[in-house]
Amino acid sequence: MKKKVLAVLLGGCMVAGLVAGCGSGGGSNSSSGDGGSSSDDSSSGGGSYHFEVVVKSFQSTYWQAAIQGIDAAVEELGVTVNTTGPNAESDIADQVNMLNNAISQSPDGIALAANDQSAVLDSLQDALDAEIPVVCFDTGVPDAPEGSVIATIATDNESAGAVAAENMYEVIKDYIANATEPVRIGEVNQDATSANISGRGMGFINKMKELLEADGKTVAVIGNQFYVDQVENNGDEGSADVIIEVAVPAQTTVELSATEASNIMNKEDTIAIFGSNQVTAEGVLTANQNLSVLASTPDEGIVGVGFDAGATLKAAIADGTLIGAVTQAPVDQGNLAIHALYDYCEGETVEDIATDSYWYDAENMEEADIAPNLYD
Amino acid sequence: MGEVILTMKGIDKSFPGVHALDHVDLEVRKGEVHALMGENGAGKSTLMKVLTGIYKKDSGTITYEGKEVEFHNTREAQDAGIVIVHQELNMLGDLTVAQNVFIGREFKKGIRIDDKKMNEEARKLFDRMHIDIDPTETMSRLTVGKQQMCEIAKAISHDAKVIIFDEPSAALTENEIEELFKIIRDLRKQGLGIVYISHRMDEIKVITDRVTVMRDGTYVGTLITKDSTKDDIINMMVGRVIYEDPKTQNMTPKGSPVVLKVDHLNAGKMVRDVSFELHKGEILGFSGLMGAGRTETMRALFGADPIDSGDIYINGKKVIIRSPQDAVRHGIGYLSEDRKRYGIVVQKTVAENTTMADLDDYSNGPFINKRKEHDVAEKFVKSLDTKTPGVDQLVVNLSGGNQQKVVIAKWLTRNSDILIFDEPTRGIDVGAKNEIYKLMNQLAAEGKAIIMVSSEMTEILRMSDRIVVMCEGKKTGELDISEATQENIMNMATREID
Amino acid sequence: MANKSVSKTAGTNRSFIDRMGGQKFIVLIIVIAMFIFFSAMSPGFRKYTTIVSILDYSYYIALMAIGVTFPLLTAGVDLSIGTGLICYSLIGGYLVVHQDWPVAAGMLVTVLMGVIFGVINGCLVALMDLPAFLATLCTCMITRGFGAFVVGGYGIPWPTATAPGGWFRSIFKIQVNGQNIPVGFLWIILLVIIMSFVLNHTKMGRYTLAIGSNKEATRLSGVNVKFYHVMAYVICGFFAGLAAIAYSAIFATVQPGSGAGFEMDAIGGAIVGGVSMTGGVGSVTGTLIGVFVICLLKTGLPFIGLTANWQQIITGLVLIVAVMIDIVKRKRESGK
Repeated sequence: MKKKVLAVLLGGCMVAGLVAGCGSGGGSNSSSGDGGSSSDDSSSGGGSYHFEVVVKSFQSTYWQAAIQGIDAAVEELGVTVNTTGPNAESDIADQVNMLNNAISQSPDGIALAANDQSAVLDSLQDALDAEIPVVCFDTGVPDAPEGSVIATIATDNESAGAVAAENMYEVIKDYIANATEPVRIGEVNQDATSANISGRGMGFINKMKELLEADGKTVAVIGNQFYVDQVENNGDEGSADVIIEVAVPAQTTVELSATEASNIMNKEDTIAIFGSNQVTAEGVLTANQNLSVLASTPDEGIVGVGFDAGATLKAAIADGTLIGAVTQAPVDQGNLAIHALYDYCEGETVEDIATDSYWYDAENMEEADIAPNLYD
Repeated sequence: MGEVILTMKGIDKSFPGVHALDHVDLEVRKGEVHALMGENGAGKSTLMKVLTGIYKKDSGTITYEGKEVEFHNTREAQDAGIVIVHQELNMLGDLTVAQNVFIGREFKKGIRIDDKKMNEEARKLFDRMHIDIDPTETMSRLTVGKQQMCEIAKAISHDAKVIIFDEPSAALTENEIEELFKIIRDLRKQGLGIVYISHRMDEIKVITDRVTVMRDGTYVGTLITKDSTKDDIINMMVGRVIYEDPKTQNMTPKGSPVVLKVDHLNAGKMVRDVSFELHKGEILGFSGLMGAGRTETMRALFGADPIDSGDIYINGKKVIIRSPQDAVRHGIGYLSEDRKRYGIVVQKTVAENTTMADLDDYSNGPFINKRKEHDVAEKFVKSLDTKTPGVDQLVVNLSGGNQQKVVIAKWLTRNSDILIFDEPTRGIDVGAKNEIYKLMNQLAAEGKAIIMVSSEMTEILRMSDRIVVMCEGKKTGELDISEATQENIMNMATREID
Repeated sequence: MANKSVSKTAGTNRSFIDRMGGQKFIVLIIVIAMFIFFSAMSPGFRKYTTIVSILDYSYYIALMAIGVTFPLLTAGVDLSIGTGLICYSLIGGYLVVHQDWPVAAGMLVTVLMGVIFGVINGCLVALMDLPAFLATLCTCMITRGFGAFVVGGYGIPWPTATAPGGWFRSIFKIQVNGQNIPVGFLWIILLVIIMSFVLNHTKMGRYTLAIGSNKEATRLSGVNVKFYHVMAYVICGFFAGLAAIAYSAIFATVQPGSGAGFEMDAIGGAIVGGVSMTGGVGSVTGTLIGVFVICLLKTGLPFIGLTANWQQIITGLVLIVAVMIDIVKRKRESGK
């Protein structure tokens, strides 16, 4: 840990040094070297395979969770695995280097969570030429050379959004059933451009609409045009029992997310709100700092639901400010990636897998199958 | 003189706080050179700006070629044939001469600019004016005099019927002025109406036919030049008679110590092996033609430009001057030839400019003592008779002479012992000029050592105790005032060296 | 809408406006008009909590803007304050969250980082004569990468209000009887008063303006131009450091990679408040008022139901109007 402080100070000197004309960082690679130690299983049985794993970054608990799943698979299958990853998700070139190194080790397979979907394309071609199978997890590489990626294991964002809707509906459905006036449900999405976010956003909207309509309510979706346009059989705002209002901030900052959230949370008829990623969920919490309207039931205030984890969100769920959130499954993804490589080497056919998303709340967030998925 | 081409009658113009023009009249005939005279801030430039549409008049009429007109911008005035040649040159230094002359109305071949034709046309123009300038030369490489010629060429090429010269001779050498006059006489012969704004009385006598005098924004009167004397005109301008004879002998006290010694100073191409001494209480004139390296010598001495070699001694002690800061610390003050660029901070007030070089003495620690600053500024406004509504006025709103007084106040505030006046009266009217001369003599009498760089021979002869003459970066002579004449100075200034 | 009435005012009674502080006064009217307009249009906007939110989100922009006023007045600019803010906060927060440093020490490091980068910017611009735009664009990129590098690419959650060390959040907002009191605004006012004093009554301020107005004339007056030029950027860096603390105190998590674009809000605020892009003219109070124009737009437009694209279009248009008022006013002053 001392070393990290030193690295900060060294970095400071380095920037100062840049002015004087000298460049090139010193102490950055040491930490990844330490973290990048292999999790070999020495007691591997006969016919064992060796896989290389390249994750997005070694630093965060999110990826530590993925490695936990990988280690579990190593135990089960009796294979050996070497895991590497750059310091930060933004270190794209570093990751490509690591991937190239992994290929040159001629492993039986590679599991990759690519930081940049286009930067790895050349390397994937090399892997294909060397006949090394690659499994992508967490993030797919849509333009990968034909045949290089044998399977992609990633979150199904549509269903992740749906999980949020189902769990929110549990809490608000009685209130809606008894409501005499129209009520409003808010959703704040970081943007209307990325596939992950819009998948989640639409997953939530469609599921919520489906549940409400199954209970005989009419639903109108209003707000951001991108989302509204994708809704089938949209109801009329004037006559609907439930209004789902979708907001997208002008820029992806917490403050603008918070402003959009405040706007919805200020409305008298709002009973629930969903922030569909970490930034927007924190935006809901930031807005609540001044509004203090979030509560555990619609009778007391507004029911809040988040997405992903992080210290702030976890604390808010633990103290009941948010009723819960949806997390992706890094443990499963790591585990399944190794399984897929093993199956492929054993001659079985493998397919893309959409991993589940988990609902977590104050009750279950400490449980063994959930807690590892919740990064800080 | 022909028929009247332009009449301005009862022109009135106010700015916030200033009644700049108070019912001013002006009449210009074809084929006349009409001088417009007045002290600083008398309203000459303002009147011309009203004429050419830069300012909008509050009342009055402008009749041009028999019709009442009102121009909304210089472009309209230009198109009608009224062109102004500015005091400050409006040249784009990176463009060629021809490109400058034809800016805004370039010859075109399709959508492409036809530089070749522009060069040809410019050459024809210069031939007609009997001047020798290469149209393809980059403007910034010409001397100020040549640049002025280009400005005039540009005006003529507009098919002008009235040309206004706003202090055209301020930056010119004697030879260049002669050339200018030749051109002006030519234009007069062609029947153009010419308005000539200048402070130089001798020029007025030589070149103009009539003189209109303004004072404090009002019209004083119009005289026929050849029927009036210098004193007549000056009296109309200032309302008092001023004339002071040139110095005939060195006024420096005998045995006065050397306060500044410059030894074999080299700085760039324009300062080559310059040595001289300056005594306490002395006014040392620096004479020479444009580009003789006088200003460059002063800038090097002041630390504004780097010194290559040579030593500087102040009060017998060798000093290192690497920046203006060093120079100021050693008691040197510098009044630049180009006030706007190097002298004043235009967006700041008179008071703020006054203390700019000596803020430490008007501060308690990091905090400025505004009352003290105000007081010293008031003091110098009074003692230098600076015309300003108040010391909180932005200097950008003052006239040239008054700006110069603010710069002088800056160095007097600093109490510098060595003062370098670089062209101290450029663009300043006669009344103010005399005040500045008086002031310089007074400062010398108080024991200040003064270097005066001047391109005006009369100024050099009138003010200097001794004279250093430079030519092409070298010192070519040194004279005591008692032995100096226009002829021997000019001789040294044009001496062939190497 | 709001601006129409304002430009009318500008035309009819110039001397009155000038007496009241020129553009500052016009912009203040804009702020008030915008506030009334948004309040009339949106019941949600009228609430006390919304005002507290607007103030919350304005602190870091206001602090950056106060700082960047100084480089702007020297006819320069500092583009690194936005990404710098995030970088300083990440580094300070990293020490607090992951190295168990006391919060006060983390805050000190945060501000210190700002000062260090201020010195770097100042040296590049004033001593090495790099154009300010270019030099600070480079440090903008450096700070962005540097912050992310130190924390390994992950967000830093400074301690929450209730957690140990969360006291620092109450610098900007305290709770009395369950009501949030935005005390941060008082700090901002205090800093504006102090920096106004610095600008108008100290050598530092005088020379800052003089450099912006005529650097060469200032140098030839024997002023240590280089020192004061560097100092303008140091002040800017210092305030970027303070802005980093304000940001950390208001928002839950600091995300690496964000921050680009923050500087535009601050610079835009300063310009709207009457700071001249060519240097030499401007005031700290004007800057503050200008910042509130930006903040009201950012907060108000979502409240009247405009979607993201419209918000940006209207913000751009309002900025043009505000700057045009200044230009028209100046032209009139010079009699044109």
